[in-house]
Amino acid sequence: MWNEIWFLVRMTLLTTFRKRKNLILYFGLPIAGVLVSTMLYGSQSSPDLRVGIVNEDAGKSVTSDTIRFVERLDHVKLVNTTREELKAKIAASDLDAGLIFEQGFADSVLQGKPGHIAIQSVKGASVTSYIKSMLYGYIGNVTAMGTIAAGDGGKFQQLYDSYQAGAFKLTSESVNDTSKTKEMSYQSIGFLIMFMMTSAVNLSQLILKNKENRTYFRVLASPVSSRTYVLSNVIVNLIVMIIQIAVALFFMTVVFGIDPGIPLDAMIFILGLFALVSVSISLVIVSFSKSTASANALQNLIVTPTCLLSGCFFPRSIMPETFRRISDFLPQNWVLESLGKLQAGDTLMNIGFNLVILLAFAVVFFLLATYKFGRNNDTRNFV
Amino acid sequence: MMNVLELRGLTKKFGDFFAVDNMSLQVREGEIFGFLGSNGAGKSTTINMVSSLLRPSGGEIRILDRDIAKHSRFAKMNLGIVPQDLAIYEDMTAFENVSFFAGLYGLRGSELKERVEEALEFVGLSDKAKSFPKNFSGGMKRRLNIACAIAHKPKLIIMDEPTVGIDPQSRNYILTSVRKLNETGCTIIYTSHYMEEVEEICSRIAIVDHGKIIAEGTKEQLKATITDVKDIRIGLKTLDGLEPALLQSIPGIRVLSVQQDEHAVRIQSDAAVDNLSKILKQLIDGGMEIRSVAEQAPTLETVFLTLTGRNLRD
Ligand SMILES: Nc1ncnc2c1ncn2[C@@H]1O[C@H](COP(=O)(O)OP(=O)(O)OP(=O)(O)O)[C@@H](O)[C@H]1O
Ligand SMILES: [Mg+2]
Repeated sequence: MWNEIWFLVRMTLLTTFRKRKNLILYFGLPIAGVLVSTMLYGSQSSPDLRVGIVNEDAGKSVTSDTIRFVERLDHVKLVNTTREELKAKIAASDLDAGLIFEQGFADSVLQGKPGHIAIQSVKGASVTSYIKSMLYGYIGNVTAMGTIAAGDGGKFQQLYDSYQAGAFKLTSESVNDTSKTKEMSYQSIGFLIMFMMTSAVNLSQLILKNKENRTYFRVLASPVSSRTYVLSNVIVNLIVMIIQIAVALFFMTVVFGIDPGIPLDAMIFILGLFALVSVSISLVIVSFSKSTASANALQNLIVTPTCLLSGCFFPRSIMPETFRRISDFLPQNWVLESLGKLQAGDTLMNIGFNLVILLAFAVVFFLLATYKFGRNNDTRNFV
Repeated sequence: MMNVLELRGLTKKFGDFFAVDNMSLQVREGEIFGFLGSNGAGKSTTINMVSSLLRPSGGEIRILDRDIAKHSRFAKMNLGIVPQDLAIYEDMTAFENVSFFAGLYGLRGSELKERVEEALEFVGLSDKAKSFPKNFSGGMKRRLNIACAIAHKPKLIIMDEPTVGIDPQSRNYILTSVRKLNETGCTIIYTSHYMEEVEEICSRIAIVDHGKIIAEGTKEQLKATITDVKDIRIGLKTLDGLEPALLQSIPGIRVLSVQQDEHAVRIQSDAAVDNLSKILKQLIDGGMEIRSVAEQAPTLETVFLTLTGRNLRD
């Protein structure tokens, strides 16, 4: 029997994947899913703010230190310019914002009354608020030092030097936290789940397609049994999905460098478990369908909406309570929730309940499909 | 001599409908056995049961003297089936198609390759081995369908209407290969709607109607069963105004069929009753223009018409 299964698996893989269309469908889409996720979540932080600097207070160390502070902020790029050019460049949106240090800025800070500084932008508060808050925090601190030193140049310098050392340390470790990459990886997996389910249905549909082109019956007239035939289809399906998981994770972690914040083996384990669930669901869909057309209709009715409800496309947290209740009964949700828990620091041991639920989904659907296939056989129409 | 196939009271019910009704039959080694019947007679249903695709409602099927219900694998290994509906993969080349189906019977490696090449050669598709069937003509697809059934060298090959809807050249090719297969020792069961084909190649014939075998024997034996019947063909200028019911009422007439495309009336009548004058008078009185009258030597078609009352190709 295993000899027969291996033969069938090999032939199916060979004929399926020599078509470029299928390669793209089964492996290109999950990669595209990762790519889209990086763009969706990457865009919120990536474009740099281009800030024009007009320094009319040249030669003062406080002024040049302040400029250096701004320069070292994340996602900020500085361009030296003049007042006249600044206006034009902001208008032409060559620059997002401008900082003007008027003559006397350094002195005003030292005297404890900061002034002679202006911020210009067209994009309004949201764009500049980040720079503003960082900058004013900095100036406020320097001003405070000026007040403490009360005109004592040496004392100010001492305070100032130690602050400079600390301030830069602070900014350099600031924004680069892990929430973005977690979101990206969560989203990538969401897409992967969706693509796994659709390709599972597509592959199981081969059974229906081969009924329609009669080869299925020709196979059953040979020593190969229908059980062997379906089993080989399931194995093809699992192989394809395991490769999908591998490809998607490879592109996510290695090519795009996104750290999901979960050990890779735990991730593969959970997704592998979900592969079983997808195959079982696809078999249920196929067992209840009379033709590939009706299987496609069922797939559209089942796969996409449930993926949506379980948060494969956007976080479940933004959905109404009733929808969230529904998704408790959807396997996709249990996968995403498991991954979320692992990201939050749980181990596979801690989420044993989720794993059992996933396994239960697979078992129930497999049993349902087997039962339905068995009943179909009684009335199958050969002629 | 050994029976390659034996049916004992084989029955298949679909609901209350008997598609195959208590059918018994013996096909001996080395025969080309013709299975004749009009649409819905139960030929394909019988073949599907022999190839284990349908479970009989009753009776027994024996292949090479073994009950297939008990020796399913043995039966399948010795059976090659050419289905009525083409069963080939459009996205596999001719070579791969044959390899696939031969592989199902456990052939692997160089042996598989040899057998596949042999089978393709046999149906005259060697030069198309690397082509995909979607570019094939109907006849070429039929031939590929046959190649898929013979590569594993079965003892019994069942062909369910292998020549339906194809060009004369492919048909001749297929008939020739059926004979060649038979010469290599294969027993063949052949179903067809084409009387001439069956008459040409089959050594023994069974006529099936409503799921039952109504006659069985060699061509000569079958024709001998209807010596009491004469077969008259009357050619007419046109069929307009023909009233078959009036003709039917003439004594002695058993079967009357109208051949639309040939503008002819075909009549099977009791040989002992002299009624030709009455028939012709009836036609002339009805205003019909008679072109020809011929009494034919009985053919298989006469036999079929007489026994079933129907044209084979209705
Ligand atoms: N699965 C089925 N359910 C119900 N009736 C069926 C089924 N399969 C076949 N039949 C009926 O059984 C009868 C015999 O069909 P079958 O296909 O065996 O005829 P056939 O001799 O092969 O005809 P043809 O020359 O058209 O191929 C037909 O009346 C058909 O409608
Ligand atoms: Mg048929």
